[in-house]
Amino acid sequence: MTQSLQPLRLRLQQFLMYGFLLLSALLSLFPFLWMVISSTNTTADINQGKFTIGSALLENIHKFVTLVDLPLVFWNTAKIALLTTALTLLVASLAGYGFEVFRSRLRERVYQLLLLTMMIPFAALMIPLFTMMAKAGLLNTHWAVILPAISSVYIIFYFRQCTKAFPRELLDAARVDGVSEWKIFLFVYFPVMRSTYAAAFIITFMANWNNFLWPLIVLQSTEMKTINLVLSSLASAYFPDFGVVMVGTILATLPTVIVFFAMQKQFVQGMLGSVK
Amino acid sequence: MANIVMKNMVKQYDKAETIRNVSLEIENGEFVVFVGPSGCGKSTLLRMIAGLESISGGELYIDDQLMNHRAPSERGVAMVFQSYALYPHLNVAENMGFGLKMNGVDKQEIARRVTIAAKTLQMESLLDRKPKDMSGGQRQRVAIGRAIVRNPKVFLFDEPLSNLDAELRVEMRLQIAKLHHELGNTMVYVTHDQVEAMTLADKIVVLRSGQIEQIGSPLTLYHAPANLFVAGFIGSPKMNFLEGRFRSYQQGKATIELADGQLITLPARDNGLAAGSPVTIGIRPEHIALTGDSSHFRIRFQSEVVERLGNATYLFGNSLGTNGFKIHIAGDRSVKLYEDLDLVIHTADCHLFDPQGIAFGIREVPAGDAL
Repeated sequence: MTQSLQPLRLRLQQFLMYGFLLLSALLSLFPFLWMVISSTNTTADINQGKFTIGSALLENIHKFVTLVDLPLVFWNTAKIALLTTALTLLVASLAGYGFEVFRSRLRERVYQLLLLTMMIPFAALMIPLFTMMAKAGLLNTHWAVILPAISSVYIIFYFRQCTKAFPRELLDAARVDGVSEWKIFLFVYFPVMRSTYAAAFIITFMANWNNFLWPLIVLQSTEMKTINLVLSSLASAYFPDFGVVMVGTILATLPTVIVFFAMQKQFVQGMLGSVK
Repeated sequence: MANIVMKNMVKQYDKAETIRNVSLEIENGEFVVFVGPSGCGKSTLLRMIAGLESISGGELYIDDQLMNHRAPSERGVAMVFQSYALYPHLNVAENMGFGLKMNGVDKQEIARRVTIAAKTLQMESLLDRKPKDMSGGQRQRVAIGRAIVRNPKVFLFDEPLSNLDAELRVEMRLQIAKLHHELGNTMVYVTHDQVEAMTLADKIVVLRSGQIEQIGSPLTLYHAPANLFVAGFIGSPKMNFLEGRFRSYQQGKATIELADGQLITLPARDNGLAAGSPVTIGIRPEHIALTGDSSHFRIRFQSEVVERLGNATYLFGNSLGTNGFKIHIAGDRSVKLYEDLDLVIHTADCHLFDPQGIAFGIREVPAGDAL
């Protein structure tokens, strides 16, 4: 009796698990599907709740490229996202490596203090940051967006955790070989930890590509704006054209999707622990 | 080649002292092995020589130069690690030449040295392989090759064979011995495997709790251990220990009463022990026989476990109240479980330890091996 119930229970468990995963997948994919379908419809159709493919895609694209200086907006966004990501990875990996590898009396205290800063909400930092940027004369420049984002405590934490799995003997071997500390970081640590860098790259790039609030505050002129700011201004117009906004949203999403799928393997490796 | 001199070396971590006043002299071209149980400080001492651990007190000289504050690369040492420590993103040739490349050595010179090292270790065909595509033994050979290309004065080995299986361990052990013979460099080797220590070393240093217990040639440690710890640590299976009472001392011989009331006389130094003092008699399992003449004494033994290995038979049981008493006899001899036996022991094979565990029996070491 118990034996015959066992497979049934197992099948029921599997059914529930797959059901839950399917539902989660649908919930996650629905906004994308809605975005794609809406980009083919007119605003009137979207407002009426039409959920089938329409014929206004080319018209929406034409309107979008007419309204927006696409190359400039993409250049602005890519410049900010890539520069911030590269600098964040450099600073955070150096910090995470340093915190884990070099012993000092105050190391843990400083690290704890750093982690504590994660508790401060960004809303509380906005005004002091804005004042700092204004005093530094950086308002309405891309550096005003890049500089505050470089020292990401979360990425420092992530690098330190991953460095715990980095084999110490490699450091010892390199030190005995007479390799300088900088060269050890560049030629031993960096190549061995490339999966960690890949995962950190995806996380940081996505966060910076999608960054909205802070650029909205510090970037005022049109020629400085990123794609999210442009989309926001299109969506908040007096008569927003949702079809056009959706075309823009697809274009804005595309780079992050490409980056994610291109580096998916390394991302998973990095999240699991890069040193095998 | 270089000599190494340690004078009262100390290593302190916060309040814990892991190396305590270690003084040691290693001659040019000598193969010295540090042995001891886990946590005895043998690896720490090796890392202090390498410069990977700072020296909290005392002095370290390599080739007669004070090294206390010199960087690892300035000490003229090369180290081989237990986990091989090969750079996973580089192939064998790049791994071996990495240190030289980083220090700006000419490409042709690197290639020349790598080729020589590869030839010495018979691994010319593996130079393009990555570490992940190699066996444990091959990886360890690459690690040794990496040490060779640096032309160091001193080779340091930190349990290099511990990650290998038994067969490979024997093979690599022979390779290291051959390498020492060919290169003639000073080598310091850390292991917890006493077979490695006994077979490779010119000189063994036995450590316990950060202190040196005894320094000597392999056979000195085997035949004349300085104390109970060394006696129990060197030799496999371990030495048996019987409790006894010191009775008297006469003409270079101590009379000891065993637990069964039997009196035996053993060659010993007069260390002023009072009659009735507890002493320990050490007997190696391989020095016990089942037959003998009048120069022997006999004790009763009951076997509880019999292990037949083919070339030898090990009996484990009880004798004079000591559990786990071990005997090594010929492989063709069969003994029944719980069989009572009369064991025959030559007094010259007995070791004698005072109540503090210090040896006071007089022991002979085979000629030409005493240090």
